[in-house]
Amino acid sequence: MQLLLAQSGNIMAGRAVEFLVEDDQARPEEGVRKARKLIGQNKVDILCGVISSGVALALRDVVTEAKVPTFLLGSANDLARKAASPYIVRPTKTNWMLGHTAARWTHGKLPQARALTVASDYAAGREFVGDFADTYRQLGGQLGKQIWTPLGNADFGPLMTSIAMERPDVVYGFFAGSDAVRFLRQWKEYRLNGRIPLIGTGAFFDQEDVLPAVGDAALGTVNTFQQSPTAPASAAFNQAYMATGKPLPGEFSTSGYACGQVIKAVLERMGGDISDWENARQALFASPVETALGHMPFDPRNGQAILDIHVNEVRRGQGGKMINTVVHTYQAVRDPGPAT
Amino acid sequence: MLLAHRPAAAGLVAVAIALPALWAGEFHLRFLAEILIIGTAVMSLDLLVGFGGLVSLGHAAPFGLAAYAAAIASQSLGGNLLLVLPLGAATGMAVAAVMGAVILRTSHLFLLILTLLLGKIAWEIVFHWREVTGGADGLRGLPPLSLGPWELSDARSLYLLAAGLALAATTAARSFAAAPLGRALIGIREQPLRMTALGYSIPRIRFSAMLAAGAIAGAAGALYPFVNLYVGPQSVHWTLSATMIVMLVIGGVGSLWGAFLGSAAYLTVQTYVSSYTDRWQLFVGLVFVLTVLLLPAGIAGGLRSLVGGWAHGRNGNDRGA
Repeated sequence: MQLLLAQSGNIMAGRAVEFLVEDDQARPEEGVRKARKLIGQNKVDILCGVISSGVALALRDVVTEAKVPTFLLGSANDLARKAASPYIVRPTKTNWMLGHTAARWTHGKLPQARALTVASDYAAGREFVGDFADTYRQLGGQLGKQIWTPLGNADFGPLMTSIAMERPDVVYGFFAGSDAVRFLRQWKEYRLNGRIPLIGTGAFFDQEDVLPAVGDAALGTVNTFQQSPTAPASAAFNQAYMATGKPLPGEFSTSGYACGQVIKAVLERMGGDISDWENARQALFASPVETALGHMPFDPRNGQAILDIHVNEVRRGQGGKMINTVVHTYQAVRDPGPAT
Repeated sequence: MLLAHRPAAAGLVAVAIALPALWAGEFHLRFLAEILIIGTAVMSLDLLVGFGGLVSLGHAAPFGLAAYAAAIASQSLGGNLLLVLPLGAATGMAVAAVMGAVILRTSHLFLLILTLLLGKIAWEIVFHWREVTGGADGLRGLPPLSLGPWELSDARSLYLLAAGLALAATTAARSFAAAPLGRALIGIREQPLRMTALGYSIPRIRFSAMLAAGAIAGAAGALYPFVNLYVGPQSVHWTLSATMIVMLVIGGVGSLWGAFLGSAAYLTVQTYVSSYTDRWQLFVGLVFVLTVLLLPAGIAGGLRSLVGGWAHGRNGNDRGA
């Protein structure tokens, strides 16, 4: 986001942009208080950000009541369904998009496979695994054991032995951050890598946060993700991002940038004035936006982006670096949206 | 010591409450309402810590579970204040009764650990009972609070409601502390052996203190979801219990009204310093250490000695010698 502002000289659609940052600390109460401060005290025109789904859901009623256009990057399915709001735009994926496509890919590649799932036990993990399991079952796939671990699990050793004992044909998993790093390291230590195919959500193998920390432990694994450094749409952003001394971009940096591009697009389409949000919203949804996440049309029912979901395989790139490499793309995946 | 006996103090409090209602903006009113609600819960903790010497690390349980009870009830029955508030107080009381039954005969370290564990259990229930509590996502989409035909959803009425609750709760806590029961509570803190010899039942007195504190914390918890129209598992988490103790120490243990100063100081640092740095907890820590070193009786104690010193200087040596 800051990179995009620097590139455009802090000007969007001829208007100077003032950029304020507040930390929600991934706590709903704190996030709500901060949002109220930004709305009430700083009188912001647009809110954007929020990775934590809990915070995003908590903000839903606050921004809707205050009628402040908000671009939320949390990925809970409900944000595109029950909690959709005319003031919320979602320039990122929903958890369903990734779990659903992963099931389609797994079933396409290994139709007879018995799939075991393993994930962190919190809202996002439950959604990823639940959506994977639903789609996989609908396709006629066979599900094995479902394993849940607490968030911030220190030792996956016992888990590895029980996975090995189950002898699944494929493992679907979701972990993020330090959990992902610990899991993948132990996955290799227990020599499961290369023996059991591992497929997961993109955050499990994030290009920026996870892959550099696990050596070649993730080599050959597959993930479904809206972001990939090898996707053509990301190329220009990769260059600009790495020019600031950063590594290949992962999800958070790319979605932040894409979110900025969407905001820029709506401002440009409205000549810098979005005080009439109803019109601005229609202008934004009228035609797709070109972003670092690719061609991005919006679903007018819920303000949810319709995204290309890439199937990434972790391969050895130049200089032995592990790189999420696109091997297939599901075009224009659209969340089922609110029940009608 | 009740406000009713001190018209000057009562007037001062009334003015202090009325001023923000007239001048403050939307955000600040809600922020003040939050300070007052959390302050009320902290004040009820002061009954246990300051008067009974019972340092509980599970006080978020009656507060948070009451918040959930109020939120869940309001979803099906509407946000009627006359329903939500008593329900919250009753829930807080029930939770405190369970906790009280477990800790009746413990003290010091074991009391700390037991309350911590009970708080953890409450959190686990809330976190995993997804169908009812919404799990990690919490509950949203709550109806606004109402009292008869009036809807209490704007910042000003929420603030006035919180102020009314804080005032009523402080009055109740003060009369509890001033009553023979409250005196006996201090007695068993200071001289448990002698109190037993005098025929007092320590478990019974502690249990009543737990009930009183639980009811007040529950009443505060009942209003909490309606400030932001959201309640999440963080409001039951043990870190909130620990935060309450930090607020209490900063504000002043044993003063009751210091709890509000403590919650104001803590939340202000949290909200404003965190705009500039991720390390706002360092500032909280600094404030905490400075309070403990320089103002062992907290901000309330500091203010009191300041006012006392000023009155002393003005009245000459009427208290000396």
